[in-house]
Amino acid sequence: MQIVPDSDHVPGSKPLISVKDVCLSYGNFRALTDISVDFYAGELVGLVGDNGAGKTTLIRILSGIIPPDSGEVYFDGRRITRFYPKLAIALGVESIQQAIGLCDNLSVARNYFLGREPVRQFFGIRILDKKSMRDASAKVIRDFGLRDSIDVEDDISLLSGGEKQTFKIARAVSFRNRVIIMDEPTNHLSVRERGRVNELAVQLKQQGLLVIYITHDIFQIHRIADRIVILENGRKVADVSKIAMSAEGLEEIIRQGGRSPTSGPAES
Amino acid sequence: MHRFLRRPDVGILIGCICIFILFSLWNPGQWFNWYTFISISRYTAILGLLAIGQTFVILVREIDLSVGSVYGAVGVAFIGLEQQLSVPLSFLLAMIFAIMVGLLNATIVIGGRLPSMIVTLGGLFFYRGLIYVSTHGAVRGPPQAARQDWFAQLIGGHWFRVENGFLWMLLLAGICGAILYQTPFGNHLFASGGDPASAESQGIPVNRVRTWAFILCSVFAGLSAVVTLTKDPQTNVSLGTGFELESIAAVVIGGTLLAGGRGTVLGTVLGSFFFTAVRSEMIAFGAPPSWYTSFVGIALLLVVTVNTLLSKRLRSN
Repeated sequence: MQIVPDSDHVPGSKPLISVKDVCLSYGNFRALTDISVDFYAGELVGLVGDNGAGKTTLIRILSGIIPPDSGEVYFDGRRITRFYPKLAIALGVESIQQAIGLCDNLSVARNYFLGREPVRQFFGIRILDKKSMRDASAKVIRDFGLRDSIDVEDDISLLSGGEKQTFKIARAVSFRNRVIIMDEPTNHLSVRERGRVNELAVQLKQQGLLVIYITHDIFQIHRIADRIVILENGRKVADVSKIAMSAEGLEEIIRQGGRSPTSGPAES
Repeated sequence: MHRFLRRPDVGILIGCICIFILFSLWNPGQWFNWYTFISISRYTAILGLLAIGQTFVILVREIDLSVGSVYGAVGVAFIGLEQQLSVPLSFLLAMIFAIMVGLLNATIVIGGRLPSMIVTLGGLFFYRGLIYVSTHGAVRGPPQAARQDWFAQLIGGHWFRVENGFLWMLLLAGICGAILYQTPFGNHLFASGGDPASAESQGIPVNRVRTWAFILCSVFAGLSAVVTLTKDPQTNVSLGTGFELESIAAVVIGGTLLAGGRGTVLGTVLGSFFFTAVRSEMIAFGAPPSWYTSFVGIALLLVVTVNTLLSKRLRSN
């Protein structure tokens, strides 16, 4: 059975993102079936599920990369009818993924402003404002505690995996985003780097952002999330606030392949 | 200093300095000669313009094999139009033709999700065939009157004994360098070539950037043809054959990575100069011209190997 979220999850507030009855297929493969889920500002939501559960597909819709076959998506109460990455970026939805987001062939400063380059007029021609690019990216490196030895003119490829993740989060935050989607942000990171990234995720939430955190690791997400949504075979099988269920209980749901645990459904 | 050595065009810079010193010691009478300079600068301009356009395409991780035929087709269009219309107008129409060719290449590559190597290989044959069909195999150069036209002189004339074509190439190289390093478009171009998925995720219109690269490439091929024809009236249907590979060789020897995302316009111009200067010296020494082709191959392998080793060493430091 499906566990339905309470409609008044955060009393008196409207969801920032509302997904209603969304379906999506890749050819014959049904990636998402009747997904309905609400996300609120100032919330850290864990999106959990096995490989092929539909987590990434859902995120691709929210990032404007692919449109759903059917169903509705609302952002801040407004129905989204066309899906393209630029719109998601304009609305302030930024997704942070392990493998993409930074161009290794560009400097730290150029990566920081990728797609949002500051310009100044030079005889009516828009040219890069390199000074403000350097200054702003140097500031963000200091603010987020990256190594002092990093120069903003260095190639971004000199950064370690954890530093790159931190840098992406820093970039997402400093451009006044409203939604940060983290797609398995701590894969391949050392224990300390992982702690740092999770700390940042909590800080973002406390600043009023909506953080959607995708992971396999139910125990890790249970520590930091406010609410956990579990997908299984393209369906939502659980949507519970963390106080309502232990990490073990959630793990049991995943292990049972979405069938509700014998202890009965837990309502949020 | 370290950052300077990491520039992709360091290899070709050193190569050019080496051949300059070598030729000045070996054969100073021939090397420090105004006619040598004129002939090298003319061919550097022609190859350089083609290669600058190719640089844009290679930077976005594509390749344009059609430039040699496009060079020929735009040239033939320019001559044909000039028989009916004024020189500036035929130049304008020839450039519009070049823009359409670039747009078509990009549309097929992007729309059809096809490798640019295949699409532009088709272009190589198609535009060459178009030249044969439209001219019935006979191309006359532009008549004397047309070459005396003010506009033709502007492109193909002299300025203080230096050929205008060479000066145009230098000016355009400067502008392209500025576009690549000083504008948001340049940043988008490097990003689209270095990591298209990441560029896309940050809202960069990667396909639009690719389209511009193909258009610029065809336009530069057309400009190169006009520079050639306003100076040198001798031409035939094989105009530009082999230029696609020579332009790619000049770009690659100039340090631009075929994998995209890294390269400089300066390197491309130096690469064009390098090949041209060596060819000129080989001819001066009486070596059979066919040796030049083998030399291009050897030089290419040598420089790319050195570049790769150098960048590996710098990265490991």
